[in-house]
Order: sequence, then structure tokens, then C-alpha cells
Amino acid sequence: MIQTDKLLDAKGLACPMPIVRTKKAMNELEPGQVIEVQATDKGSLADIKAWAKSSGNQYLGTFEEGDVLKHYLRKADQAEEKEEVAFPHTLTNAELQEQLGRDDVIVLDVREPAEYAFGHIEGAVSIPLGELENRTQELDAEKEVFVICRTGNRSDFAAKQLAEKGFGRVKNAVEGMTQWDGSTEQSKA
Amino acid sequence: MAGKTAIIASNGSLFDAYKVYNIATAAAASDHEVAIFFTFEGLNLINKEAYGQLALPAGKEAMAEGLKNSNVPAVTELVEMAQELGVKFIGCQMTMDVFGLKKEAFVDGIEVGGAVTFLEFAKDADVTLTF
Repeated sequence: MIQTDKLLDAKGLACPMPIVRTKKAMNELEPGQVIEVQATDKGSLADIKAWAKSSGNQYLGTFEEGDVLKHYLRKADQAEEKEEVAFPHTLTNAELQEQLGRDDVIVLDVREPAEYAFGHIEGAVSIPLGELENRTQELDAEKEVFVICRTGNRSDFAAKQLAEKGFGRVKNAVEGMTQWDGSTEQSKA
Repeated sequence: MAGKTAIIASNGSLFDAYKVYNIATAAAASDHEVAIFFTFEGLNLINKEAYGQLALPAGKEAMAEGLKNSNVPAVTELVEMAQELGVKFIGCQMTMDVFGLKKEAFVDGIEVGGAVTFLEFAKDADVTLTF
């Protein structure tokens, strides 16, 4: 069970209703929020992907459970694309890759749980940016923390938050998961 | 708007309604600006008396069962959905005159216009379809 902001039940509906309902449900979401769309229309897999592409939203992935397709989408966030990276300490994905063998480091993935589920760096800790404020105690402040998200913007906010909370060694992996070409693992549905 | 879709609906069976409204609602849900020009038998698809009980094409009556089982939405539901999504309905004035029908005979919210009204909309459309 992946945590999302909204669940849309489009089971039993034929084309084009799953898309029409998804469009309506997306209108009610805040930018950056994640929706799970449950559908039994087999064509919805291709349609949801195409719709996300044309509408500029982010298609995360689909789990199949019996006859039900569970699609995950994240609403586009314009601010995220434009925000300037301000946290001064950064590292590239290649540099991050070299650090992965060490045992005194934490890779912190601050994307939404559904984004994390469909592909993350092995061993990465998942705390969505929105929850970080209340969950920093789960992290060992003595370790070096590398923060990553999709494109380097949410991780920038997260890195600043951690630094303010007394984490001495924090770096933002600015290139983000979109440019990560190392291995990843997926969570189970 | 991500694009513009212009559709001509010129046939009036139940199948024609699905062809037209499925594409129209899908396009509108993908942020396209959509207009449908209803002409000749296509006017059935917005005729208040007709659009809720459109006939299957001749010889295809046996498919009524299949339609029922595959959970496709009712035509009336698709029309409501299309209008809610901002699809523009244009009734062809000339055909309405030929059939002796007034604007009141059709679903609310339609515009009435001639061929040029549609052409003006369609001239810079990304997708143009005729059914």
C-alpha cells in the first residue's frame, strides 16, 4: 500500500471515463500531490501515460493486482521547475555513487512515497519533504546526509531544513533521480 | 490549452455518438480546446428527443448486449461530461432549417452557426476529424 493524497476509483468504467475522471480529480489536487487511480479498463495503461505526457503531469508507474490497474500520478508543480537551488553544498550523481559504499552516510530520498516506490537508490531512506520537519529524529545527525529528490529542488529545501536542525554534514544531490543512471530498486505493491 | 481539436459529426447512429463523444471528451480532458460541428444526421446526437435513444446501425442490433456489458457510459452522460469539460457544440443552421428544427429542440448550451463558424475554429486546429 503506497501512501497517496487521493484515491480515485475508476473501476468498471470504459474509455474515456478513467481519463475524464482523472482529469477532474487532478484539478482538486495541490501541485506536487500524488493520486492513485484504480481502473479495470486495460487501455487505461497507455492512456494514462499519454495523458500525463500531454498534460505535463508526472506518471510514476502502475501496479497490476488481478484485474485492477493501479496508476500513480503526481501533479505538476510549476514552482518546482523554476526555483533556484540555494543550498551551497551539493554533489553530482557520479560523486554520490562513489560515496554509497561507506557506512557512515545516509541517502535521504524526499520524494513522495509513490515516486520512491517505483525506483530509488538501494538503501535510501524515504521521508517525503512535507514530513521531514516532524521526522528528522529518525535520522542520525552524526552521519553525512545526501539528500535526493526528482530534480534537485525538493532536496534543496530538505537540505536547508536539516542544516537548520543541526545536521553538520549535508549535501544536496542536485541532479536528482531523473539523471540517476546507477542501479535502483522498487518497493513491493 | 495544450491543443485544439475540431470535429464534424455528420452521422446519427449510436455508434457515431460514441465515436464523436469519446474523442471529444478525451481531447477536452487532455486540455484541448474542442468544438463539434453537428450537421445533417449528426444533429441527432444533440437532439433532446433523440440523443438518449439513438438506434444502432442497421444490421448491428445484436451488439446492444455487448454495449451493455462493456460498461460504456450512456450518451447522455457523455454529452453532460463533454459540456462540463468545455466542449463547444455548434449546430448547423442550414441543416436545422432543412429539418425544420429550432435551437430549442437541442440540448442547452449549443451555438448555432454555418460552415464558416466551424471553419474559423478549425483553421488552426491541431486535430481535425470527421465522423
